[in-house]
Amino acid sequence: MTRVRQIGESVLLTLILASVALAGGFQLNEHGASAISQGGAFAARASDASAIYYNPAGLGFQSNGSIMLGATGIDPTISFYGPLQDNTNAETKMNSQFFTPINGYVVYPVMDRLMAGVGVYNAYGLGTDWPTDWSGKNLVTKVNLKTFWFTPTLAYRVSDELSVGAGVSYVSGTLLLEKAAPFDSRVTLDMNAHGWGFDAGIDYKPLPRLTVGLSYRSQVKVDAGGSAGFVPLIPVLPEGGVSSTITLPATGYAGVAYKFSDELTLEADYQYIGWSSYQNLTFTFTKDGSTQTAPKNYSDTYILRVGGEYLMGCMKLRAGYYFDHTPVSDPYVDPLLPDASRHGLSAGIGMNITDHLSVDAGYLFIKFLDRTVTTTIPATSFDGTYKSFANLFSLDLGYSL
Amino acid sequence: MNVTKYGIVALAVAIALLYGGCKNTAPSGPIAGLGGATVGKYVSIGNSLTAGYQSNGLFASAQAYSYPNLIAGQLARAGSSVGTFQQPLYSDPGTPDPTTGKASRYELISWVGPVIGPRGLTPGSPINTTLPRPYDNLGIPGAVIFDFLDSTDITVKAGPPRSNPLFLLVMRSQAAFGKTLFQQTFALHPDLVTFWLGNNDVLGFAASGGVSPNAPTPTPIFTALYAQAIGTLRGALPNVKIVVGNIPYVTAIPFFTTLGPKIMSKLPTGLALQYQKHGTTGIADGATNFTESNPPLICLTGAPYAPLLGQPTGKWYTDNGYPALPAGIDTTKPFGLDPRNPWPDALVLDPTEQATATASVQAFNSSIATVAAANHAVVVDINGFLGRVLVSGYETAGISFTSAYVSGGMFSLDGIHPTDQGSGVIANQFILAMNAGYGWSIPLVDIASLPALTVPLSKGSNGYPVIPEGAFGELKMLWGAR
Repeated sequence: MTRVRQIGESVLLTLILASVALAGGFQLNEHGASAISQGGAFAARASDASAIYYNPAGLGFQSNGSIMLGATGIDPTISFYGPLQDNTNAETKMNSQFFTPINGYVVYPVMDRLMAGVGVYNAYGLGTDWPTDWSGKNLVTKVNLKTFWFTPTLAYRVSDELSVGAGVSYVSGTLLLEKAAPFDSRVTLDMNAHGWGFDAGIDYKPLPRLTVGLSYRSQVKVDAGGSAGFVPLIPVLPEGGVSSTITLPATGYAGVAYKFSDELTLEADYQYIGWSSYQNLTFTFTKDGSTQTAPKNYSDTYILRVGGEYLMGCMKLRAGYYFDHTPVSDPYVDPLLPDASRHGLSAGIGMNITDHLSVDAGYLFIKFLDRTVTTTIPATSFDGTYKSFANLFSLDLGYSL
Repeated sequence: MNVTKYGIVALAVAIALLYGGCKNTAPSGPIAGLGGATVGKYVSIGNSLTAGYQSNGLFASAQAYSYPNLIAGQLARAGSSVGTFQQPLYSDPGTPDPTTGKASRYELISWVGPVIGPRGLTPGSPINTTLPRPYDNLGIPGAVIFDFLDSTDITVKAGPPRSNPLFLLVMRSQAAFGKTLFQQTFALHPDLVTFWLGNNDVLGFAASGGVSPNAPTPTPIFTALYAQAIGTLRGALPNVKIVVGNIPYVTAIPFFTTLGPKIMSKLPTGLALQYQKHGTTGIADGATNFTESNPPLICLTGAPYAPLLGQPTGKWYTDNGYPALPAGIDTTKPFGLDPRNPWPDALVLDPTEQATATASVQAFNSSIATVAAANHAVVVDINGFLGRVLVSGYETAGISFTSAYVSGGMFSLDGIHPTDQGSGVIANQFILAMNAGYGWSIPLVDIASLPALTVPLSKGSNGYPVIPEGAFGELKMLWGAR
């Protein structure tokens, strides 16, 4: 009897946030058109102002101040086939969306060997927009996560072969989440989040043609707070304040670039992402002090990147490829973010328009591996196949001083 | 620069190809179908659970989500040509309470309390009355296994002592289609029959606290009637697919599990609830503080009386028209706490009565399994399923169901009959059993597409749901004397 009562009293909240979560691939690695064009294999060279993201030490080998402004347009196409629990593989298409993470960097030589810079970019972000009446509406209908990173950075060229750099990041973000709630209500969580992190890097040229780079970006614990709204408002639902703490994972790059000729440079990077920091997502509601925890159990993972650049007159032709391994195991895959391992194929060009003004344009095609999950956890109970691909267009304007 | 131009053009072409040429295509997966079988006519036989009865009333907006109607919809998706599934619809707010004449349907009347009960609305009326054939849904609220082959004139069954006018609503012309549920079924020549009778053969006993009737249908009689019912169906329709639902333990439903814990939390320290055991009318012969391993279950019909615990009251005797108090009863004593003013037998299923009900369910289910096997019928283990819901809940696509009253999402405001979504969950148990038994591939009902229970329960000032006395007249009609 006691058991029955306990279940009864906990069920309301369980229903609301059974699987509210941020999911696997909400990391964004697209922070400069040149890097994007080369499969993101850029941490060794870090040869433009986007070094503030990829490897701050790269700034040390840059002799001039510069300004770089740009954005990436992301156009994903995502479908779910299922749920298999209903003995169906009917397709649900995610509503079309278009995201435009931005990047802006300013770099200035403070004195000989010492460069200072500041960057603003979106290192984590996510958007999900399913039809409001789809069969997974009790899991999620809409998510919009944005994080803005403001990163003052210093880099010091120790010698002609060695540079080091470091930065501090202030992270400010917003999270919007919508889904169906008990009693045919609809819940919207609207939260703001803040946190601090740091990064450091080293760039070394053991041979004239060889560059090796390492960079590390700390995990960032963001404290989020905001409001939970229900429409219609049902008195038993925890309307009002809601808070959470989310740890954005640490990430590190190890890159090797080799200049095969005056025209051709190739680079290969290994990127590590410490997703195991993301084990649970817990929300606390102010109204009744209740908490809800959704297990995520992500694993540390990696991305392998190769890319290069070919100089052709005033043009730089670029291409690259990466493989991104999902941090999410089958039981924890849900439509909040239908994560899967993916291939990325990219190409792009760079041109100097004047002595000071340059433009970089890139295109990246991402093909997610088809992912069929048949063992989702009970709180999700939503098996099926996710198929996704995305087109990304990136443009940066540079002005060197 | 020519090379550069070519490079740009090549890149543009590559992008255009990638961008335009890529689309997601369906993976191989379940393909809806009936494996070559033809199901042109589906008929459901049962009681209130089959009729789509909900929140203490029969009304069209709940009948739309009766599990047979949902099954019929899914059969159509699997390619069956069942057409419109015809039901004896009764317009909202539904059927009347036999005593008050007002709609018996429970609604949320007030957040304070909260108060749940009939709103005193003018009842609805039958709205599908010109069908020139029997209804496809032959679920009759209150029906017992005996009724399937009972050839008593239905106007007689609608009158005293049974007083169940719903026989008249559900069964079309006796002259044209016959007096028995079997004859009306046969007249439709179904390819598929779902048969879920027998619940009331034990639930009537249990829901009345073991008072009216004072015993479940005897097992030998139940077994004989069940074998006769399914055997007759099989004999008359040799090729019909018969799917039978077994009987859940009555203790799995919130009608029995809601009030006990609340009363337990209200008991003064050191005192126990004094109650009457089976058949007792006088001084309490049972006492509980609900900490024993198998405590008595308090019926939801006790909701109007639970708040009176400890008060000197004879309200229950007044409400039930006792001309004089039974011997030994003293209503000046604290109600429920003094043995001389005990919690009445009719509002409690004591451990002995629970054992009686459980033994009957086990025996009935054993008979159902045996009879089904002998007649090539598929069994839907509703008992096993609801038992699992009671223990660990049921989750699908982010929706959680438990056996809790109202907040559990599975059972409607009467604590016995499923909600719209709960009805979908039941329908899916039938579909899963059919798919397994016949090799069919019927898609399941998308539970998220069904209305949730939109009448939530908040914790009231005293923690009890306030259900006014007299709200259970419909219940007495369903399971009263026969």
